[in-house]
Amino acid sequence: MNAVQTSKLTKEFDGLVAVNGIDLEINQGELFSLLGPNGAGKTTTIRMLCCLLKPTGGTASILGYDIAKEPFKVKKLIGVSPQDTVLSERLNCWENLALIGKVHGLSSDEVKERSKELLETMGLMERAKDRVRKFSGGMKRRLSIAMALISDPQVLFLDEPTLGLDPQARRTIWEYIAELKGKKTTLLTTHYMEEADFLSDRIGIIDEGRVVALGTSQELKTSLLEMRSMVVSTENLTAEVMEDLRNKYSRLEMVKEKLRISHKDLDFKEIVDYLHSRGVTVYSAALDQPTLEDVFIQITGKRLRD
Amino acid sequence: MKFWEIGKRNLKEIYRNPVLLGFLLGMPVAFMLVFCAAAGGGQASPIAMSIVDEDRSQTSSAFIQYIGSVDAIELNEPIYSEESQAQEDLDEGKISFYLLIPSGFQAAQQAQQTINLELAYKGAAPMIGLQLKPIIEAVGSEFLGVAPPFNVELKGTESKIKNPAVNFYAPGIVVFGLMILISTAAEIIAGDREKGFLARMFTTPARPWDFILGYSLPFIPVLIISTLIYLGVGMALGLTVVGNLGHAFLIFFLIGLCAIGIGMIVGSLVKSESQAGVSWIFIVPIAMISGTMFTVEYMPSALRSVAGALPFIHAVDASRAVINGSSFSAIILDLYWLIGWAVVLFAVGIVLFRRTMVS
Repeated sequence: MNAVQTSKLTKEFDGLVAVNGIDLEINQGELFSLLGPNGAGKTTTIRMLCCLLKPTGGTASILGYDIAKEPFKVKKLIGVSPQDTVLSERLNCWENLALIGKVHGLSSDEVKERSKELLETMGLMERAKDRVRKFSGGMKRRLSIAMALISDPQVLFLDEPTLGLDPQARRTIWEYIAELKGKKTTLLTTHYMEEADFLSDRIGIIDEGRVVALGTSQELKTSLLEMRSMVVSTENLTAEVMEDLRNKYSRLEMVKEKLRISHKDLDFKEIVDYLHSRGVTVYSAALDQPTLEDVFIQITGKRLRD
Repeated sequence: MKFWEIGKRNLKEIYRNPVLLGFLLGMPVAFMLVFCAAAGGGQASPIAMSIVDEDRSQTSSAFIQYIGSVDAIELNEPIYSEESQAQEDLDEGKISFYLLIPSGFQAAQQAQQTINLELAYKGAAPMIGLQLKPIIEAVGSEFLGVAPPFNVELKGTESKIKNPAVNFYAPGIVVFGLMILISTAAEIIAGDREKGFLARMFTTPARPWDFILGYSLPFIPVLIISTLIYLGVGMALGLTVVGNLGHAFLIFFLIGLCAIGIGMIVGSLVKSESQAGVSWIFIVPIAMISGTMFTVEYMPSALRSVAGALPFIHAVDASRAVINGSSFSAIILDLYWLIGWAVVLFAVGIVLFRRTMVS
């Protein structure tokens, strides 16, 4: 049985289609990411799967329970860390965890034991008795994830778990999430391609309410990406040369003052020779690994952060 | 017991929020101080008095004329000759009270015997008796040339009342004060909705009634404490509870529950804390037509019907009656009304909350 299964899942708001017939099958224990820009329909999908939004079309089930017909059975199986880090600001860590744990039916002893374990894992034990309003964004995120885990859910939903965090805090949270791989079925939404790339077993790229690509990070990069890219560090690059290159190759862009050229059957030597012949000094040239951003651009024709 | 956990969380959110707690518990003190002070220092306009002259003598006519010349009194026409007529008008609400000059008034005056007058009034307006008694005593002593105490018998229970104005206003002020729970309860729910906390809680297996009970429970201690403060400050400032204090407390508790129930409904309907503030648009007019601040005797009947359908006027009437000495049996219908409203409001709250749990 799939942990999460959707069939033509659709949500329409007053004529605006936010989620457009999504079909997903997420295996038990899998960490699956929905990657897409803001407004792509990621959060709406998660909100439907968490029984907060009623689908306007299609069906979805969590471990076999239909989200529309058996929402309370579904809610017993899931843990959710929402996009906005919503905590009870005047409660401390223990109290926040106890609230969610006990609402899920855990005994006081179970809550205490599990809270201790989670607070230690999340590195929050030292501040566990402080009211959370004094916490940094990263600490709040970690507590939010701990709250999602307190009931030991079979399916975990993490909606943009590192949104707005600095790189160090983001990396810390990635490590916690990575530890869950294989232990929990996790559906994560993100618009950070590095996050999806680093964490996910499989990725669904979502745009304008549709899943436009699905697979492992490597599958997406290799099977969907026909183009190869190279990055060249140059001097004396004229507009005329640029125009020539633009006419000859599929995509040309400046990335951190370096020229990035992408094309099917890209010939590394041919480009370097051409640049030399036009008097351009080439300091360095290297083949570039494709990224999920490249995949996204190829499929949708736009950048992930547009 | 999911509701208990939600309730514990909400209670902590309230008592750890000094501004909200100060508002909730400081309000009763401020309210009673202001209103009792106002009632104690108020200057009344002339009181319209009806008279029953059973003696129909020269002396009684002269006495009536003398009373009419007193600035604080305005005589109603006609002068009744039979008490039954006056009693009927009193029962129908046409007059608020009457002074009975009994037959034998002139004879007693001439024989220099004790003169007895009776002042009859509606139980719902006990302050009238105590306001008028000293005036009539003074006027009578002056007219008849006898030294006080001049015997004016009051038909009522308010003889123990220290300050009639406080006894009249206080019950209404308590009810109005408890109506604040409507907006406070609504704002807490709406605030949690706005911040997304409710959405997070909706992903747990808690049911609608867990939320309604969980959000109502913390207000129970607030309700009890604030009612005790209202009564305590009121009593310190001259409120005399002639009837059963427990009955009065029960009425205030029930109307407090109704206010919390309305707060739950408003909280279920609005989307933000600022929208919850809109509840004041309803609170103030309802308080006005429910007699919390002044008598509704002269209010148009249509408005009185509207007020009568709501719980607040029943709480005001019943608490005023109990505080001024009425028995439990006199308020039993009002109590049924309040209990009925509380049940209906919480049931509606649960239904509405269920709807908001899934968009």
